[in-house]
Amino acid sequence: MQHAAKITFRMLRRFWRGLREWCGDAAYETYLRSKGRQSSSSPKLTPAEFYVEQLNRRYSKPNRCC
Amino acid sequence: MKRIFSIVVWTVVAALGAGALGSIAVHRGEPLNATWFVVAAVCCYLVAYRLYSAFVAAKVLALDDTRATPSERHDDGRDFVPTNKWVLFGHHFAAIAGPGPLVGPTLAAQFGYLPGTLWLIAGAAFAGCVQDFVILFCSIRRDGKSIGQMAREEVSERGGFIAQLAVLAIMTILLAVIGLVVVNALKSSPWATFTLAMTIPIALLLGLYLRFVRPGRVLEASVMGVALVLFVVVAGQWVADSPSWSSVFTLSGVALAFAIIAYGFAASALPVWLLLAPRDYLSAFIKAGAIFSLAAGILFVRPQVLMPPLTRFIDGTGPVFAGKIFPFCFITIACGAISGFHSLISSGTSPKMILRESHARFIGYGAMLLESFVGVMAMVAACAMPPGVYFAINSPPSIVGSTGDAAAATITGWGYPLQAQTMTDLAHKVGEITLWNRAGGAPSLAVGMAQIFSNTIGGERLLSIWYHFAIMFEALFILTVLDAGTRVGRFMVQDLGGRFWKPFGRTRWMPGILISSAIIVALWGYFLYQGVVDPLGGINSLWPLFGISNQLLAAVALVVATTILMKMGRLRWIWVTLLPMVWLVIITMTASYQKIFDANPRIGFLAYAKLLAAQIAAGKVPAERIAETQRLIFNQRLDAAVTGVLAAMILVLIVEALVHWYSILVRHKETVLHESPYVATRWGPNFSGAAQGDD
Repeated sequence: MQHAAKITFRMLRRFWRGLREWCGDAAYETYLRSKGRQSSSSPKLTPAEFYVEQLNRRYSKPNRCC
Repeated sequence: MKRIFSIVVWTVVAALGAGALGSIAVHRGEPLNATWFVVAAVCCYLVAYRLYSAFVAAKVLALDDTRATPSERHDDGRDFVPTNKWVLFGHHFAAIAGPGPLVGPTLAAQFGYLPGTLWLIAGAAFAGCVQDFVILFCSIRRDGKSIGQMAREEVSERGGFIAQLAVLAIMTILLAVIGLVVVNALKSSPWATFTLAMTIPIALLLGLYLRFVRPGRVLEASVMGVALVLFVVVAGQWVADSPSWSSVFTLSGVALAFAIIAYGFAASALPVWLLLAPRDYLSAFIKAGAIFSLAAGILFVRPQVLMPPLTRFIDGTGPVFAGKIFPFCFITIACGAISGFHSLISSGTSPKMILRESHARFIGYGAMLLESFVGVMAMVAACAMPPGVYFAINSPPSIVGSTGDAAAATITGWGYPLQAQTMTDLAHKVGEITLWNRAGGAPSLAVGMAQIFSNTIGGERLLSIWYHFAIMFEALFILTVLDAGTRVGRFMVQDLGGRFWKPFGRTRWMPGILISSAIIVALWGYFLYQGVVDPLGGINSLWPLFGISNQLLAAVALVVATTILMKMGRLRWIWVTLLPMVWLVIITMTASYQKIFDANPRIGFLAYAKLLAAQIAAGKVPAERIAETQRLIFNQRLDAAVTGVLAAMILVLIVEALVHWYSILVRHKETVLHESPYVATRWGPNFSGAAQGDD
């Protein structure tokens, strides 16, 4: 029983992480953790700066299809 | 033992699929249950994925998991982000799934359910999925380069230029035709117009919240936004019931077209965080929810398919659009089976986020299978209503007659019994003023979806709510494609203009933003207006034009893919991309020729222009309508010219590619493959993505 609960909890946690990653909710955390960001000398962006910068990049090329 | 079990399971799946497909194909007489469609499609997809995609992955592409992908080599947390394969599948699917697989099969249902369903399944398995998969692979091996860049490097400079022009052309026509679908969905419908109009202030509110209150907290903002959107769907009923408010939101086709043009301009010129992005978040959640609900509804209700397998309109006299089953069924289905536009996504964001090469099979091939399944569901929803109702909603008055009784008599005369009262009752039940002449696919799909949903939850009492939910869902994500497309078009225009005058290319220079937005909006806005005022119903001319341009772009992508396979020394397997390419060239060339030169004025643009000119010359056109008719003649000639230019572009590219292939094959010149150099991966076999960690 405890084992089943543990598995369910782990699956729900994975689903939650996946959902956050899919919709962009976790984008800033991913940016902070990225290898490129950690080895870069450029200043760290704030959440608001990162959000706007990311959107400007994403919507400058085809990202929605017919 | 495991192997025997696997063989038994796959034999059962294959037999079930073949049996279900056979039932659909040979069934005559009593209505068929939609479950057969689901079983046939799912089993065929499973077999295609298990066998054909595995063959392409292992033999044709030889995917290599020891090779570091762009997301590992350039990991910057922005563009290059190592992403879990399930998450990337969701990303990729959300990007490729647009209105095409919903509208195309709904329109193609005029031929009956059989041709469209067969092409949706076979076309996806052997053409669409292969294109998406191979282009994704090629882009992964080239650091995420776009299809245009790959065409330039691997085929020729001219090939790359043609690919870029094809993208701009398809974008213009796509935006016009989907704008027309929205116009026909909202025309004379205060409830639907109010609901969609309200999504704009909701998106603005979300935009401000995500920018200033809780930057980047997409999930909580989307939950609030979805709740507000569902509320305005219900509130639309109160607006429709109020005489004063109802008149404010009852708009004509032309007024709606101008409203959509103004919206497209605003979304392109305003900061992206304010309107465009929050709408996209809303749309993504509602799209995922509606598609999942439709699948669940079909399985729960198991509706009867009332449309016959083949209708009399396979002879080319169809009221929704004119043209014979070959090539117009393939041109009309377009995105649900193969979409050239997908090559932009497969060579855009996805290759920069993929974790391992082997994931390309699941993401490239698998996501397209799911898109094809959406197309099959749309076909089921359209065919589950009585054929008479389907033709009443989708036929223009110039074909069926302008009064309810005349239209019902015409449709009944075709062999699809219909009473005018049935349409009046149905319109009343779904909360619409009228359902006659609502071509474009969206209202008939909404009626089909609403019937499935209401049979699952709420019964007839909730039919009108479900109908307007379905209309809102379609219109919301069509407008998301429209605004995102307009913005990308703006960047293309700025890029092009920047070559001649540098300041114009600066993406933050306000006059440049305004002028380029106006240019791209004027381009698609012109075609949209032309479609709205077209007496034959704009869908008749614009949807085939869109289908042709989309399939041409797919042919461009497959030319690039074939060239790369040839250069990789996989000559033995080039039929995998070459055969779909040849098929696409045949259907697009035939359709282009017929759309330009066919003697039937409903098919051939030039024949229609000639007919109108003859009417003016014979004095059959009243003086006050001469200017309008002359504009119509110009539009037909313009459509013919656009079709001709698109066909010429692909012919030039094919000749270019043939010359290149010849020189590769006879070794006149050294083949240069522009792949990134091999770098071994440092990730362990269990690593599953940046945010997922190693667990």
